[in-house]
Amino acid sequence: MLPPLLPKIDAILVLGSDGDRLAGKYYGDFLKATDDHPNAEESRTNFEKEVQQKIGGVIARPDAAEVVMVQGKTVVFCGGSSQGAGGDIRVVHVGPSNESELVLAHLCEGMYDALSQLMGGTTERTMVLDNLELVFLLIDEHCDGGIILETDGSKLAGAVLLRDDDGMHDPRAQAMGGGGHPQTQGMPAGVSTGDMTLGQAFRQARDQFFSGGM
Amino acid sequence: MQGQQDQDAMGMGSMIREVQELAEKFKVEEDENYVSPYAQLEKATVLQEARIFHDPTAVRENPRKCCTVIAQLLHLQNTGQYMSSTEATEVFFGVTKLFMSDDASLRRMVYLFIKDVAETCNPDDVIIVTSCLTKDMTCDVDLYRGNALRVLVRIVDVAMLGAIERYVKQAIVDSSGQVSSSALVSASHLFASSPECAAVVRRWISEVQEASSSPNEMVQFHAMQLLYQIKSHDKLGISKLVSQFSTRNTLRSPLALVLLVRYTAKLLNDEYADGRNMNDGSPVSKQGYQFLEASLRHKSELVVYEAARAICNLDGIEPQDLSPAISVLQLFLSSPKPATRYAAMRTLATVANTQPRVVSKCNEDLEALIGDSNRSIATLAITTLLKTGSENSIDRLLKQISAFLTEIADEFKITVVRSLQKLCLTYPAKHRVLVGFMSNFLREEGGFDFKKSIVSSIISLIRQVPETTESSLLHLCEFIEDCEFTRLSTEILHLLGELGPKTAAPARYIRFIYNRVILENAAVRAAAVSALSKFAAQCPSLRASIMVLLKRSLIDEDDETRDRAAISVSILEDAMEAYPYVPPPEDAEAEDIPPDVPAQGDTAAYILLESMPMTFEKLERSMAAYMKTPMSMDTPDPISFGSLPIVEDTAEEIAAAMSTESGLDAEINGLEAAPKKKEVVDPAAVVYAIPELASLGRAFRSSLPVMLTESETEYVVQCTKHIFQNHVVLQFSVQNTIEDQRLDNVTVLIDDSESEIFSASGEIATEGIKYGESKNCFTVLERNADAPLTSSTFTCELRFTVVQVDPATGEAEGDTFEEEYPLEDLQITTSDFMAKVTVPDFRKAWETAGNANEVLEKFALQFKKMEDAITSVVDFLGMQPCDGTGSIKPNAAGKPHMLHLSGVFVSGQQVLARAQIAMQGDNGAGVILKIAVRSDDETVSRMVADCIQ
Repeated sequence: MLPPLLPKIDAILVLGSDGDRLAGKYYGDFLKATDDHPNAEESRTNFEKEVQQKIGGVIARPDAAEVVMVQGKTVVFCGGSSQGAGGDIRVVHVGPSNESELVLAHLCEGMYDALSQLMGGTTERTMVLDNLELVFLLIDEHCDGGIILETDGSKLAGAVLLRDDDGMHDPRAQAMGGGGHPQTQGMPAGVSTGDMTLGQAFRQARDQFFSGGM
Repeated sequence: MQGQQDQDAMGMGSMIREVQELAEKFKVEEDENYVSPYAQLEKATVLQEARIFHDPTAVRENPRKCCTVIAQLLHLQNTGQYMSSTEATEVFFGVTKLFMSDDASLRRMVYLFIKDVAETCNPDDVIIVTSCLTKDMTCDVDLYRGNALRVLVRIVDVAMLGAIERYVKQAIVDSSGQVSSSALVSASHLFASSPECAAVVRRWISEVQEASSSPNEMVQFHAMQLLYQIKSHDKLGISKLVSQFSTRNTLRSPLALVLLVRYTAKLLNDEYADGRNMNDGSPVSKQGYQFLEASLRHKSELVVYEAARAICNLDGIEPQDLSPAISVLQLFLSSPKPATRYAAMRTLATVANTQPRVVSKCNEDLEALIGDSNRSIATLAITTLLKTGSENSIDRLLKQISAFLTEIADEFKITVVRSLQKLCLTYPAKHRVLVGFMSNFLREEGGFDFKKSIVSSIISLIRQVPETTESSLLHLCEFIEDCEFTRLSTEILHLLGELGPKTAAPARYIRFIYNRVILENAAVRAAAVSALSKFAAQCPSLRASIMVLLKRSLIDEDDETRDRAAISVSILEDAMEAYPYVPPPEDAEAEDIPPDVPAQGDTAAYILLESMPMTFEKLERSMAAYMKTPMSMDTPDPISFGSLPIVEDTAEEIAAAMSTESGLDAEINGLEAAPKKKEVVDPAAVVYAIPELASLGRAFRSSLPVMLTESETEYVVQCTKHIFQNHVVLQFSVQNTIEDQRLDNVTVLIDDSESEIFSASGEIATEGIKYGESKNCFTVLERNADAPLTSSTFTCELRFTVVQVDPATGEAEGDTFEEEYPLEDLQITTSDFMAKVTVPDFRKAWETAGNANEVLEKFALQFKKMEDAITSVVDFLGMQPCDGTGSIKPNAAGKPHMLHLSGVFVSGQQVLARAQIAMQGDNGAGVILKIAVRSDDETVSRMVADCIQ
């Protein structure tokens, strides 16, 4: 069984500890709606159920992804510890069975790392759910249409966060936030001011506060 | 640089954490009221909220709110609450308004949304964002450029691609890694999307080349991938690409190196397929292998594993070249990372299929993995050990497995059972332990599939290792005492009826079977009654006692059971009267006791034990063929098996006999393989429909159609050979592909002047083949039955009258003229006169045929591969492989292959052949074929043996 010459991911999922999909993206023809099976959602939910059956209860360390086979696909995941409110999420990568498990694990660990950086060091379900837009952005920065874009956790988190901010032209912010990042060179000019990390963080807090109070 | 980045990221992370802890405190106070913005979203509500996009003030003042709404929309999509096309379009138009805002995070969400929704919307609507995206793509903000480009390629077509081509090329060589990667990935998508776009992408090759030497790792990876895509059909280009990168050593990215390893392996396998390998000194192969081996020492595990796997998968690799790769994989087996262990284990398991000896040095590490927390790894370790272990380690292994088997899921157990079965085939001497082990698990908890796999394994072992019969039957008897699956019980009862009476002490099975009659449901009772009858029929000594048992079933409440019992009782009573059983005297010596078999002519034995000479399905086909044959229904002769036409095995049966899966898997799937009913059309029916040919009688067989022209020529002709007792009818199907012609008086002229066996005795022309139609014309060859058959070749020519027609109306217009059209030569070989018919029991048939008319031959044939040799021998003879010998057993590499073939010759004789095929030397110089052919007639045997070319 020869490995694919053009490696592609079939799906990236962020699952809650009981297997519910918090965010997920299926690529290419995998479980795509076709004329025979117009209801892709159903087969996807079934697939995720099967995944959950196999990985439920298994905890994979952030730097040591676990592997299982589901429906002939290689499924690699990180996370799943039951500590914290609502338990820990799992980052799941699904690839063709001839794809190297090591490559998939490398991708999965990278994304898990990025996610926990984005969530301030935790990967609790509630925290992830509250910041879903960051998860969506992360998946998009990580993988484009099945082709891997970036795997490094810090770079990924940086890419998502920098983007999320209003501006970076303040030199102080550059020094603090992403000094030396190639990405910082061309941030949009003339937009609102503010310290990147603080602004970002405070807004998160503020939003949560307001939405909680209302 | 890297370190500093990490620090920055850490600083950022910790700061967020602090603030979030702050938020956490607020949360605790108002925990009951807090609702996540994404919990319990209603589609209608979110769509309502999305109207905010149309309000310029809100968009300007509160971009954050817009972001949340977009994220909520995406979340809906993500959780299966899809928007309808109209809803999507409406929201889409709202989102386009958001381009007004300069807020970077909002812009980012807008990009994401367009990508997600672009497929649901009308493409004509999506086009309107093109100009906004193009503007973003050309601005000086890195963040916009890369992302806008990635969105843009989702919606452009070839025409628009031309307009933005310049910008994409610039982006590929952009100094920002992100922009460059985005451009390369987008180009990859474009390349795959349509040939027109691919043509455009090809023009960017020099930019891609430049990007491949970028210092950014991901850019290297993406450039590598795109380069390969562009060159994928240019073999020389690929070869250059691979050697350039593997010698220059400029790639830093492990992922890019992984790709390079894969490309190298592909190249090596292609070289091997062309007949070159590194031992012949092909420079490409040599260099490639060196690169793979050097990659085994790379610092990244990704690359090391990829190289090891590539080496293990190389075609035609020698065991000594494998060993560095195996050593690396062995190290991986004790890695702390499950993915690494899993990957190494999987590769080793594959190697063990073909080269168990090479893997056996890892046995110790494999045994350690039986306790692995990842059950897939543990199962793979066990199944591999079962392949690589030696005979004397089996007992120890089984002990380890039995602890393991109780705690894993059924699907893993089934895998283990299959490996045990294979192991038993390798070491038949260990059958007692292995079968006993499997039977123990029959008694444990387990689902139907698991039990079925054990039963199937035991049954197939009985067939392949006859020594296991008695002990296995007793195990199965015990199993049905407490079996909840009707299908398994009936299957086992049937097997008992078949094999039990022939064992040394048949009486001991009766109790088990009769218990089923008392205790089970109707289906099992019926099966048990049938089994009892078979015992009675086969063993006259047991008849009296079994009669008593059978008579009790005469009042069974189930119709089927009662009927079966009634038939058996009546038949047995007659037989017992005609051939009463005389018990041997009490004091007789053991050797004086005659074997307990039915007497010659015993009717019970005949009716209850003799199997049909053919399967019911074949009988049905044979009857149908009989009825279709002209005049057969008018003859006064009664129908007997002898007068029925011989039917060949169907294409599926032939394919099944040739397939590699035939042996083990077919057995395992046998229980549930539903009979695939397919209407079999008699190809000779067209001949019977011609009144002039009715006198020829019944066709013996018909060959598959052979093309006599290329498929794209003006006239396409294919020929089907129908073999009759003394004639061959050639059916030519002629297709007219010229629009303004009609073909009349079409015949095929056969040059029979050189043949001593055949002479053309008649032609039947066909008329009026219009454009696009095909019709049949026939040529009849008479066969000289006295001359021995050899392969004959005929030159053929299509002759016809062309009528010019108006393509529109089909009316004839203008001239007609005679035309001749040369066809390819037609060959009639001896194998055409051989019907592919399997015999139920080859060994028995072979011994019955005897060696009186045996012909032995030895040939040296020019085949590089065993598989090719087998297929060709089967083709030469036109016979049907039996007992699954049509394919090589998976782990028999290097050993000679024994092929069993059977068929029926045109004269009605059964022909059997045993062929031994052995590779000559190690370097694939050819094969040695030894063949023995048996039949009732030596000339037939000789003719068949001479078929080998």
